[in-house]
Amino acid sequence: MVKAREEKTERKKTLNQVLFIIGALLGWELMAWTGWFPPLLFPKMSQVLIHLWAGLSGGELLARVAFSLYIIGLGLSLAVVTAALVTTGAMLSPLISDWVQALMAVLHPLPGIAILPVIILWLGTGSRSIVAVIWFSSLWPLIANLHTGLRSVPTTQIEVGRNLGLKGSQLVRSILLPGAFPYILTGLRVGWARAWQASVAAEMVFGASGGEGGLGWFIYKKRFFLEIPSVFAGMILIILIGLLVERLCFEEVERRTVRRWGMTAE
Amino acid sequence: MRRSVLLLLCLTLITGGLMLPQVYGAPMEEIKIAGQFGLVYAPLTVAKERKIFERYGLKPVWKEYGSGGAVREALISGEVDVGFMGIPPFLIGWDKGCEWKIVCGFVIVPIGLVTNDPNIKSLKDFKPEDKIAVPSPGSIQHILLAMAAEKELGSPTALDNNIVAMPHPDGAAALISKKGIKAHFTTPPYLFEELSQPGCHLVIDDVTIFGHPFNFNVGVAPQRFYDRRPVVYSSFINAIGEAMAWINNNKEAAAKLLAPEFGLTPEKTLEYLNWEGMNYTAAPYGLMGFGEFMAKAGYIQRAPASVAEIAFDNVLAIIGSRAGSPSELERIQY
Repeated sequence: MVKAREEKTERKKTLNQVLFIIGALLGWELMAWTGWFPPLLFPKMSQVLIHLWAGLSGGELLARVAFSLYIIGLGLSLAVVTAALVTTGAMLSPLISDWVQALMAVLHPLPGIAILPVIILWLGTGSRSIVAVIWFSSLWPLIANLHTGLRSVPTTQIEVGRNLGLKGSQLVRSILLPGAFPYILTGLRVGWARAWQASVAAEMVFGASGGEGGLGWFIYKKRFFLEIPSVFAGMILIILIGLLVERLCFEEVERRTVRRWGMTAE
Repeated sequence: MRRSVLLLLCLTLITGGLMLPQVYGAPMEEIKIAGQFGLVYAPLTVAKERKIFERYGLKPVWKEYGSGGAVREALISGEVDVGFMGIPPFLIGWDKGCEWKIVCGFVIVPIGLVTNDPNIKSLKDFKPEDKIAVPSPGSIQHILLAMAAEKELGSPTALDNNIVAMPHPDGAAALISKKGIKAHFTTPPYLFEELSQPGCHLVIDDVTIFGHPFNFNVGVAPQRFYDRRPVVYSSFINAIGEAMAWINNNKEAAAKLLAPEFGLTPEKTLEYLNWEGMNYTAAPYGLMGFGEFMAKAGYIQRAPASVAEIAFDNVLAIIGSRAGSPSELERIQY
């Protein structure tokens, strides 16, 4: 009963949001039709959608999306592995924990893109540097959340686990990880968003090789050829991918884990 | 009595103060100019330092930009009245419906593709993984590379997958330190610096590709600026011309004046100003050649049918239109 009502409000919320977006797009189109702004600066939404479709069916945009996802996947996975190792170290030794916290205080506020000049000097240009920037950008939110998450598991729960005879990896798997899961999920969300920002920003700063650029490179290139509808098409695609991943991955995982375990306020 | 004298004194002072601007010449007309850094823009630096614009009754407002793309966007959005850019970026805007035309030619400089790999002797020696840095897609360097690729490799896009976009200083640093890139398509002073490095050599230069010299940059202004402010427009042309002529006639003094701006010694600056191929000129060169190539290669929809479509009357007057076969000046536009 409660569940059905919840689903209904959920559906209503989605409907409202979809209607709002459609309204905004229509408003955009109307504004462009009035001709108050030069079409070069403010293209019609229909034009943008036509370019989006042309780019997708022509295959160029798909190749760019595939490259972006591949490079973000690579950078993010490396960051997750690094974060897991670092946090494990921090959990095992208070000394390492202090170091990690000091590092985090120093490096977390530094935007990933700020280290780009140094990265170019060390690694040159190209995909390796972009992966490095993505790794750096997503690493600190991941470590921060993992660290806080693991620390926030109540001692009583750990003690209960111990009393039940859980040890080592069993204790981690059954108590610590589920306990820290909401934080881990938040870390992944922030990390994913940061990874996108880093990849697009990095490609816009020094571009990439024409054959292996992602969506950032696509937008960058179209900007220089003054194909503004295509610039918007690239932006819309980034938004769509963000929405899809949020809906299909993060919310689904959240529904199956954190919410089912009754760990959220809702 | 004393009070009336004081009053009179006050009145004279006030009216005198109001009269002052009229006494010292006509009121200044503001003109917003997009500036960039570097040897190419030396006439702008000279005009600024020697107050040449002020001599023509202009009050220049300088806005500095880091790339040609930014200058173009500033012109489109109306942030500046005039800007300087390569002919290809100008044509891309023209093709997309920007109502602007060429105001003047702006400097001829040598442009070249420099490599740090002794094995690369021609474009054929570039392997798919060899990166070539250009300032940005659609820049004059990118289009020259495409022209060369068409001539030597049979397709204008043959090297498009090799290009990386890098600002000149970063590209020069990457080339010299051999980090990531194999070649750099660049302009002075970076071209000169790179060619002075041991192990770096020229693969191909602009004149070999294009056939003859052409304007590296052109002055560009919106049609509405030309229509609405003809006096400011013509003053601007004259001021730029004076700055160009001053550099050509006073190379030593120009080097001394420009050196601090470039962070070079006056001797080095003089060497660069006198480098083979440098030509501070406002004359139009090669305005049409890029259009035909870019249309054929698909970078723009159509090439301009005549110079009149892309240049203002003062430029058309210089080029002229010879009855019968085209004149020398008309021929060098292609």
